Amino acid sequence: MTDSLEQQKPVNIKAQLKNCRSKEETFKTLVTLSKTQPRLCAEDKTEDNKVKGCESAVWLIIVEKDGLRHFKADSDAKLMRGVLVAILSLVEGKTLADIQQMDLRAELAELNLSSYLTSSRNNGVLAILKKVKS
Amino acid sequence: MAFDPSSLRHLFPILAQSAYDHPLTYLDNAATTQKPLPVLDAIQDYYRNFNANVHRGAHFLSDRATNRFEQAREIVASFINAPEQSHVIWTKGATEAINTVAFGLEHILESGDEILITSLEHHANLVPWQQLAFRTGARLRILPLTSNGEWEPEFSHYFTDRTRIFAATQISNAIGASTPLQTMLDHAKQQGAFTLVDGAQAVAHYPVDVQTLNCDFYVFSGHKMYGPTGIGVLYGKSHALEVLMPYQTGGEMVRHVSYQATEFNVLPYRLEAGTPHIEGVIGLATACDFLNAQDRLALLAWEQSLAAHAYARLHKEGSIEIYSPEKNTTLVSLSVPNIHLLDLNTYLDSQGVAVRAGSHCAHPLMAQLGVAGTLRASFACYNTMEEANRFCDVLLDAIDLLNDE
Ligand SMILES: Cc1ncc(COP(=O)(O)O)c(C=O)c1O
Repeated sequence: MTDSLEQQKPVNIKAQLKNCRSKEETFKTLVTLSKTQPRLCAEDKTEDNKVKGCESAVWLIIVEKDGLRHFKADSDAKLMRGVLVAILSLVEGKTLADIQQMDLRAELAELNLSSYLTSSRNNGVLAILKKVKS
Repeated sequence: MAFDPSSLRHLFPILAQSAYDHPLTYLDNAATTQKPLPVLDAIQDYYRNFNANVHRGAHFLSDRATNRFEQAREIVASFINAPEQSHVIWTKGATEAINTVAFGLEHILESGDEILITSLEHHANLVPWQQLAFRTGARLRILPLTSNGEWEPEFSHYFTDRTRIFAATQISNAIGASTPLQTMLDHAKQQGAFTLVDGAQAVAHYPVDVQTLNCDFYVFSGHKMYGPTGIGVLYGKSHALEVLMPYQTGGEMVRHVSYQATEFNVLPYRLEAGTPHIEGVIGLATACDFLNAQDRLALLAWEQSLAAHAYARLHKEGSIEIYSPEKNTTLVSLSVPNIHLLDLNTYLDSQGVAVRAGSHCAHPLMAQLGVAGTLRASFACYNTMEEANRFCDVLLDAIDLLNDE
């Protein structure tokens, strides 16, 4: 558990989620991953940074540097923070053009996160994916 | 002898499945109940054997369909002890029934009149009245719960000589509390107001007698009482229904039409424009038959014992805030400070436990409770004590997993 609190490498994150064999394991992994993400400070949690359409509050900040996109994100729900860690591990440090080429829904499905893409949580995560690509 | 849910659970085959390798534990009954086999069979039977439009064709199938359709009205009328079947209007649910009244009464309101509702209302029994107030210049007033969740001991002053409409729920869908309905209705009557009772959360659990309640209108949805979706009931006293301007016009609700004018049909047809939801009506009547065949009070006592058991177990945990009453309710509604409801919901779901997390279409009530929403487990007659315990066990596991300490 000790290393879980440090920033994890994307490959690690992917492997951990891919290896989950039940919804319960995915849940626990997301809880663990949620702790690896630094929280946003209050000033960053503005209305502008909020992703509309999520059932929980989600803030996503995109910074472009030398043509590469860097992300910071937070949510008041723990699982959503875990899902954000997973999403950002797929897109962090890439160019916008590269990100736009990606089939993020398929990649998240491979990480056993498709149920976070369906049901009523659907719109929330889809709104995040849209913002990541915008 | 205590009621045993296994005496009827086999009528609900949907419950026998597993969800993600766990037994499905369906505790979202306040949102919608499952449907027993006789209801499913009645719907099939209609389409297989006597599907035809009602009140129209003079032929074999149409006669059969019409007979069953009007027989259903009798069954539903006696289910709520309505004096006459023409007092039962089919709607698509409680929501449409309330809107039918809110639009139908628009012509009696004047600026400065008052519409009174309680602070426990579902949006379905709030927004139509609020919009009606906007349209007419009437004032929407709220009879509130006090901060400790009680009704004020003396609330009669909310009923004034300007109160034209009083609408209240029998039971809150969000927190399971009942309203002191009879007293409220008496006050409203004394002021000559029209009264509407939202029975959406009551009909599945309580025997309803609209004549004892003595309300002008009573509304409910079929899908929350083991019947199909898309069908509901507006009961009204005849003079009250006569006052309503039809909210929808078209076929079926007319007696004679010319380009210059239309003569409306008699009740109940006057308020039922268009081809009705025939299979829904037949399914709903079958759901009433299903409930009539049970010992209703034994079912209610069982459902209340499940909720009281969950309450007692969870109340012991200091970390849980419970908003539903300790007793005499069929649901538990709670939150856990510092843990997001969606996180709890997702864990319960991963274990096959279906509950509802959210504001339960009652934003003002949530605001009053000081929460964004609650997690609600709501029980029906087919739920078992194991399921009540499983809900508690899984919830406590979720809290352990999600706690930061
Ligand atoms: C108390 C109450 N009133 C009204 C409604 C609305 O019912 P429907 O959506 O079936 O029209 C509900 C449903 O959740 C309810 O619980």
